[in-house]
Amino acid sequence: MLLSSLLLIPFLGTAALLLWPGKPAPGQMRLITIVILVLQLLASLLVTLRFDPAQAGMQLQEFHVWLPGIGLDYALGVDGLSLPLVLINAALTLVSAVITRDIDKRPRIYFAMLVLISGAVNGAFLAENLLLFFLFYELELIPLWLLISVWGGANKAYAATKFLIFTAISGMLILGAFLGLALLTGSVDFSLTPVLSDRLAMGGQIVLLGALLVGFGIKIPLVPLHNWLPDAHTQASTPVSVLLAGVLLKLGTYGLLRFGLQLFPEAWAKLAPGLAIWAAISVLYGSLAAIAQTDMKRMVAFSSVGHMGYVLLAAAANTPVSLLGAVFQMVSHGLISALLFLLVGIVYRKTGTRDLKVLHGLLNPEKGLPLTGSMMIVAVMASAGLPGMAGFISEFLVFRGSIAQFPVATLLSMVGSGLTAVYFLLLVNRAFFGRLSITPSSDDPRNDARLDVQLAVVSPRETIPAMALVAGVVGLGLLPMSLSRLSDASLTAMALQAMGVS
Amino acid sequence: MPVISADLVVSQRSLEAEELTGQLLSGETLLSDTPDHVLEVVGVLESYGEVLDAYSKNLIYQGEQQFLNPFPLFKYLDGDLSPAKIWRHLNHDRINFEYAEYCMKAMLWHGTGGLDAYLDSEAFRENCNTIINCKRRRDPLLALLHPLFPGFLIEQIRNAATTHALGQFWRVMSDLFLDLAAAEADGRVRSIPAVVDFIKQGLVDAAGNPIHYGVEIAGQHFWVLPPEAGLTFLVDVAVPYVEAVFLRGMPFLGTVSFNAQAQQISPDQGRFTYGALYADPLPTMGAGIPPSLLMQDMYRHLPEPLHQWYLERTRGEGDVREKICRSFQKSMFCVTNAAINGTMPHPLSTTKPEEQAANRAYAAAWAERLALGRTDCLGR
Repeated sequence: MLLSSLLLIPFLGTAALLLWPGKPAPGQMRLITIVILVLQLLASLLVTLRFDPAQAGMQLQEFHVWLPGIGLDYALGVDGLSLPLVLINAALTLVSAVITRDIDKRPRIYFAMLVLISGAVNGAFLAENLLLFFLFYELELIPLWLLISVWGGANKAYAATKFLIFTAISGMLILGAFLGLALLTGSVDFSLTPVLSDRLAMGGQIVLLGALLVGFGIKIPLVPLHNWLPDAHTQASTPVSVLLAGVLLKLGTYGLLRFGLQLFPEAWAKLAPGLAIWAAISVLYGSLAAIAQTDMKRMVAFSSVGHMGYVLLAAAANTPVSLLGAVFQMVSHGLISALLFLLVGIVYRKTGTRDLKVLHGLLNPEKGLPLTGSMMIVAVMASAGLPGMAGFISEFLVFRGSIAQFPVATLLSMVGSGLTAVYFLLLVNRAFFGRLSITPSSDDPRNDARLDVQLAVVSPRETIPAMALVAGVVGLGLLPMSLSRLSDASLTAMALQAMGVS
Repeated sequence: MPVISADLVVSQRSLEAEELTGQLLSGETLLSDTPDHVLEVVGVLESYGEVLDAYSKNLIYQGEQQFLNPFPLFKYLDGDLSPAKIWRHLNHDRINFEYAEYCMKAMLWHGTGGLDAYLDSEAFRENCNTIINCKRRRDPLLALLHPLFPGFLIEQIRNAATTHALGQFWRVMSDLFLDLAAAEADGRVRSIPAVVDFIKQGLVDAAGNPIHYGVEIAGQHFWVLPPEAGLTFLVDVAVPYVEAVFLRGMPFLGTVSFNAQAQQISPDQGRFTYGALYADPLPTMGAGIPPSLLMQDMYRHLPEPLHQWYLERTRGEGDVREKICRSFQKSMFCVTNAAINGTMPHPLSTTKPEEQAANRAYAAAWAERLALGRTDCLGR
């Protein structure tokens, strides 16, 4: 029942928000949402306390037959792969609710959708049945589409439609792969049992795995399936970007590990060299594209594309260390990208622009955004993999775990890691250093040097969640054992199982 | 093009040289006469006066008590070595005397006026040799250093002389600014023209004050700047100070790097425009930017009415030092205005064409330099 509470709290919370009597003010809706999400976080922490890190398999399992005719069971379980993601979902959805401001338009629906997404993501991470996973995976699409299309920026309709088309295709491919499995194996067993050659020929395995790779590759996203992400981020409001980058992209990488690697270990081993090269291309393309951006948010979005490539590399290598690196990368990317989007959002709110050709000197201690700038420097250092922060430990584990298997792809990915420092230093140098100004240079440099900028101060509501994320980024970097303890046994077992069967 | 709210960017009109010349010749003040400007200028000069009092005492203490001390570890403590004072110093609960030294070094480096001419004279060198000969007999380190680097101790004495002279200059200015605050409090000064006139009168009264400096070594008295050098307050110290600190300054703005090879810094020091009247107040409190220290010191002594006035504007306490810097720049334009008025070759009321022409040339020379400064703060 404990895992069901991670679904009940958000789903009942969604119902409560939608049915709340009267016309509550946006602030009141926000407060109710925060209470629901704090309860969800407490329940997630309780799951963590009950979780036995020494055990490798699924724990706290719940099973109810639902629709046996089509193989749909209510089967939930948690292991070292899903637990960190459940925790990060609870934490980042709470951050999204706390930083939400100025929702005057339909606040009831906004907050309900936020909580609904969180519940659906929990369901996807906890599902032990393929169809149940698919239900939750699809459940978050429409709320997210609404969050972008209703509360997004000027070009929201375009971005939301693009997001919907891409992710609907992703869903269709995943459902197609699951149904194809039933068709090819002649059974409606949608449990997480590995599909081996004795059940399905290699050709069939590769086709199904290929569909899953493209389906989850859209969600992650991997180059060249990434096209929807920069637009979605650019048009989404800051809390939605935090949720999208921090949590929702992880559905793709989680799906890849759980349903690609774990379900089709033999086919995975065959495709692994190609996947490693794909990962390297994704990393390099994401990094080079980020360098070319002048919109801060697009730069961070392309950085996400690059950094999620590390997870594919680690999954392709499929060693205990690389899989641990993959989980670290998912968690650290969740924290760091959430922090980056939150800080970019603060800059945008205060200055009205994210254009790196216009923003300068925001670190100005008296008139600028010094705390935001300082946290941005921490975030970019973490993202670039500086020791002592979450990004370092995850990248180190990914590279260390992958280099023996795929040295060329790993080295190319390392170059991508170096490029992270390049584009983020460009960002910090342009937007935060120098004389404070938020106007493009004119023909009169004397007048440019005399413009005074009046920026409003950043409220604690925005800085406190950012500081909490900074603490998480540094904390995970200094105490990586806190996470590896949870995941080590499960991931080692997963890697050994996959190696054994391949 | 991004959408930028117009109220986020504030720009004020800068003045051209001709406009400034006209104002100087007509006896108009450079800073516009508004009640807010009076509050800002008098308030900020009062806090500056308090700070200058501390700077002055410390510079004079350094000149007299830390003379040729090779390890002046306690030079900022004014001789009080009590644990409480040392703790306050280490805890940074103190005046930033580093800024005073920064100004002294600017004067020494730009080296204009009578003081600098005397520091390069043969008479000064002879005084130095006498002092060094006496000092090195009691100090083995100096005895070793002097033959190895014959110019070193003389340069140290030039440093000490400039330090002491600046201390004497600021003694007068501190009293003048505190008197100004008292005059405003009892209603004698109510407008910007009255402020400028008060400062001008103070400068004129002190113009002829002698500047001299002597040290005691082993019970013997030695002159470093002897009375017979004839150095006086206005011409030999005040004017070089204005030149070095208000006008030329140092090419270090903190947030902007200069490319000296690309001639972004003029090879002619006389064309430098990095002083207080040209400084950008925006980077105030940026790490390592020297005026930040002064703003922090003035913040500690801010009169309450001005403090309240700052709290009601922009970020309140959040950008108070930057606002002090803006007010300080306005007040420095008033001081410069007073100095120009006080040193005008002929009375402004003259009807003789040649005297009018001399005044015009003098005002135009100043206006040309001031026009490059932050005249946008003048509110014209």
